[in-house]
Amino acid sequence: MLLQVTHETRYDYQPAVDMAQHVLCLRPIVTHCQQVLEHQIDVTPRPASRTERQDVFGNHLSQFSMQSPHATLRVVSHSAIVTQEPTTPTSTQPWESVREDLRYQHGMVYDPAVEFTFPSQYIPRHPEFINYARPSFQPKRPLLDAARELMQRIYQDFIYSSQSTEINTPALTALAQRKGVCQDFAQILIACLRSLGLPGRYVSGYLLTMPPPGKPRLIGSDASHAWAQVYLPDVHTAHPGQGWYDLDPTNNRDGWGAPGEDYVTVARGRDYSDVAPMRGVIHGGNRHTLHVGVTVAPVEEGAEA
Amino acid sequence: MAAPALPGHYDELRGCTTTLPTDAEKAAMAPAWRQFFSHPGTQNLADLNRRQTSLERQIRDNGISYNVYADSSNPQRPWSLDLFPLILQADEWCQIEAGVLQRVRLLEHILQDAYGPRELLRDGLLPAALVQGHPGYVRALHGLEPVGGNRLQLCAFDLARGPSGRWAVVAQRTQAPSGLGYALENRLSISQLFPQAFESLQVQRLASSYRALINGLRSMSPAGADAHIALLTPGPYNETYFEQVYLTRYLGITLVQGNDLTVRDDRLFLRTLRGLEPVHVLIKRVDDAWCDPLELRSDSSLGVPGLLQTLRSGNLLMANMPGSAFLESVGMLGFMPELSRRLLGKELLLPSWPTWWCGEHAALQSATAHLAQCAIQPTYTGSTLHGNFSGLQCSTLDTHERTAWLERLHESGEAFTLQQEQPLSQMPTWDAQSQPPRIVPREVMLRVFALTDGQQSWRVLPGGLGRIVSPQKEGISLQRGGSSADVWVRVDAERGHTVDRTTLLNKRITPATVAQYRRVITSRAAENLFWLGRHTERSENNLRLARLTLSTLGSSGQSCLPLVKWLGSLAASCSLVPVDVPSPILAQRVFTRALVAGLGRPDTTASVGFNLRSLRQVASSIRERLSQEHWGLILRTEQDFLQRCTELVDSDYATLDVLRVLDSVSANLAAMTGQQTDRMTRDDGWRLLSIGRQVERLDFLSMVLARAFESGIVAESAGFEAVLALFDSTITFHAQYQRSRDVAALLELLVVSRENPRSLGGVVQTLRGRLAKLAGDGDDSLLALTPDPNQWTLAQLCDEDAPLPALAQLFERCTRATWRVSDGVSLRYFTHTHESSRSLGA
Repeated sequence: MLLQVTHETRYDYQPAVDMAQHVLCLRPIVTHCQQVLEHQIDVTPRPASRTERQDVFGNHLSQFSMQSPHATLRVVSHSAIVTQEPTTPTSTQPWESVREDLRYQHGMVYDPAVEFTFPSQYIPRHPEFINYARPSFQPKRPLLDAARELMQRIYQDFIYSSQSTEINTPALTALAQRKGVCQDFAQILIACLRSLGLPGRYVSGYLLTMPPPGKPRLIGSDASHAWAQVYLPDVHTAHPGQGWYDLDPTNNRDGWGAPGEDYVTVARGRDYSDVAPMRGVIHGGNRHTLHVGVTVAPVEEGAEA
Repeated sequence: MAAPALPGHYDELRGCTTTLPTDAEKAAMAPAWRQFFSHPGTQNLADLNRRQTSLERQIRDNGISYNVYADSSNPQRPWSLDLFPLILQADEWCQIEAGVLQRVRLLEHILQDAYGPRELLRDGLLPAALVQGHPGYVRALHGLEPVGGNRLQLCAFDLARGPSGRWAVVAQRTQAPSGLGYALENRLSISQLFPQAFESLQVQRLASSYRALINGLRSMSPAGADAHIALLTPGPYNETYFEQVYLTRYLGITLVQGNDLTVRDDRLFLRTLRGLEPVHVLIKRVDDAWCDPLELRSDSSLGVPGLLQTLRSGNLLMANMPGSAFLESVGMLGFMPELSRRLLGKELLLPSWPTWWCGEHAALQSATAHLAQCAIQPTYTGSTLHGNFSGLQCSTLDTHERTAWLERLHESGEAFTLQQEQPLSQMPTWDAQSQPPRIVPREVMLRVFALTDGQQSWRVLPGGLGRIVSPQKEGISLQRGGSSADVWVRVDAERGHTVDRTTLLNKRITPATVAQYRRVITSRAAENLFWLGRHTERSENNLRLARLTLSTLGSSGQSCLPLVKWLGSLAASCSLVPVDVPSPILAQRVFTRALVAGLGRPDTTASVGFNLRSLRQVASSIRERLSQEHWGLILRTEQDFLQRCTELVDSDYATLDVLRVLDSVSANLAAMTGQQTDRMTRDDGWRLLSIGRQVERLDFLSMVLARAFESGIVAESAGFEAVLALFDSTITFHAQYQRSRDVAALLELLVVSRENPRSLGGVVQTLRGRLAKLAGDGDDSLLALTPDPNQWTLAQLCDEDAPLPALAQLFERCTRATWRVSDGVSLRYFTHTHESSRSLGA
């Protein structure tokens, strides 16, 4: 599928901001399920300096600084992506054996995925998550089956409510209230995995949404999306570098490399704080309003990308 | 006279460990200690007590302190230093030195690997839980090549000596180690108390190591010998702020807070009164997570946004590079022997104290056998992600609790580390409290420092910080509340070494080097100096007003009503009484009580106590610029006043008692003014202090006069005298005009005169003089904000036809000028700490 994504972020400041520095994480990465044909970020007004780099997880970051007063900051990211329909891997390794393989012993073989078993800023470990996950993690059950069932349960048990949580709502709070948005659901799923000693990764990206029948696609009406990944060592052994399996508890969709052909992966990290699309520090500007608009649109086969 | 160490503890004084008390008493004192105690001053109890008293006085006079976060109302306590030094022999120091040098090299290797190829993880020599699983691992710095070649420029190691008599490493401090300042201060104090013993024992000096550090940092920095070195402090409320101030003064480097610094074009700059100045080396005392709100903790106001980018760009040398906090974990200690073999091909010269990280089943298994002799320590100290566990001793657990803990360690062992408990060595300390005073043995740990002196090269400071465990505490966890001791390392005379008498205290300054001693005035210091001036002046004005009001209201005769009303309105405007207190005309007693009650309540009214506290707070942020007397005076004035006010309010006081208290603080404030006018260098910082004072004075006096003329009280003799009193000009006036109460004479002295330092004309003239010289940038836009007193004439102001409008207009212009100058100065020179940077996320 050929997808075009426009992600616009606009800050209006009152009064103007004197100086600012920002870090963007907007450029989609390349995975075995997606190729990036085009990507460009426009920042207005023009930054005093701008550098590109990759973080330790391989995500693309762009850092820029503004050194003169500005009342508006506009960041627009354009991407054109080719995605593939994900397949289903064969994975039968029981979840306990995955946990044991990653537990440290002197001279053991190191698996970089172990990094994603540790608690992080937004995703702690907690007995409450184990209690919630336990029914799906019966002894000897293959990790893939258990994780998929956990995803289905979150999809069924939780109410999607955009008003119920903030960007920094702890996963534990969202678990208790059984409400949240995609970010909360992804973090709860990952917290369950980590509390059991299993690796879980946070994914930021986009999802193509279908306009209601007969209505045109509204520009900017989409949002950025977030979901989770679980690590399957037996898949990694068979297909090096492709051991992560995607789970989207918000939509009950899953797949190997992406939850579906209509998904675009931007970045992957331990939690939201590693892959926030835009973070910054401003000096001045007492009040601000933020406008974010995302448009994901399919490009017809043969049409110009 | 000295009791032996308890059985099982190594006795520093006797150089051995005994198992029976009777053996201990028979053991002879080690030669070095015998030598120490053979010198004058150490031989009898009375002498030692005199020295103890002198030491305490010195600590108090020098203001050496250790802030305690928990108690913000009185956050300082004097530094606790024991009379006796810990004496280390040349041969045992050699072993410590070699072991510490090996360890710092080893830690540097581990860091290079953890932020680079990660071979230690890949080969299973180091658990990922202790590196990537540690909250102190900074992913944003992965793959970065450090400026100068080292990630570690200064490290501290806490050593302890078990019953075997061998020193072992209990803790590694790499993030922002403290103690380099206290070690110096301790040395200065103790070597002065025992000068003969200090000479005869041939104690190694400290100065050349500090100089080597500074020279090393310069040589490795991007700017070389011209490097500007700054020390980043978390601020005056940090527990070790004193030593940060001390250290920067001693080393001749700049003390800065996060908002003094700014990043432009991937370079670090200091905001100063004269613009931005580049910084090339930053010694940081702020914990890693708080260093850069852009990439690390976004809620930090202690750091500098963009700091990590200056590191990536190779424009800044940091001591130390952020990201080393995981090395501090107690869980790391058990892996050091194997890492040493792998990375250095050698055994550890200085062993680790026995520890077992519980995330490794094999280690846990071997430790559970002697669980009862262990303490359970948090692997991730202080981490909120790991439940804030602060450690416990297994010997305190019953069988049931022990089983529960074992289960927990097997389930989620990563967060816990077992550390063996062994008796620590004991050194002699002087207990002046006991009757009679005596020498008692106390457990001690030794903090030593490794300092870089060039690329991949370090040296060990020959000395350090003896840390004495307070008698109530058991085990090796040295909590706050302990004391400290100087550490005397003896020169290796057998190998022909001599004492290196380098000193940094009286550095020789030549005409060629004199320029580099020009003091940088940061914008933050400028702002604090300005407010120091304002708060001092405001305290004086409020005091004078409170005094006049109380004595007028308390006088036996019937005071004239307009005067009482005028004083009531001034007192309300100056926040001497809360807004809801009735006017003194309606309820004089209630008003007086409220005024007295408010004087010493720094939290409820903006009265005298409030200003004295604000004064102390701004002064504490510029400690490094104030003389010791000045700072002591500020502390004393606040303390005395608040205490006396509390006593007053609790008693059945008479007006005279209150006036006495006001007079005594008034004398202190006069002394403070003396310090400010006479004892401070007249640089731009001082000019801002003076501008602050003049602005405040002009604001107060023009309000006093405006209200006096409005209310007509100058026509009454009591009112006339009251105005003179508030201008502190009673004596001058009567000396010049005798008993006259002529308004023209009053206006001449209080408005037009340029000779009276409190006349509006005199104040404005001084203010204009300071503004004209400030920053020497030839920009006189601030000057233009003030009225020109040369245009004021008595004739014009006393014009019979319309005297009031002309006067009122002049007072109004003066008041407006104070606001404008204040805003203008602030806008041009200050950091605007109150509107500091904020983080955004989208």
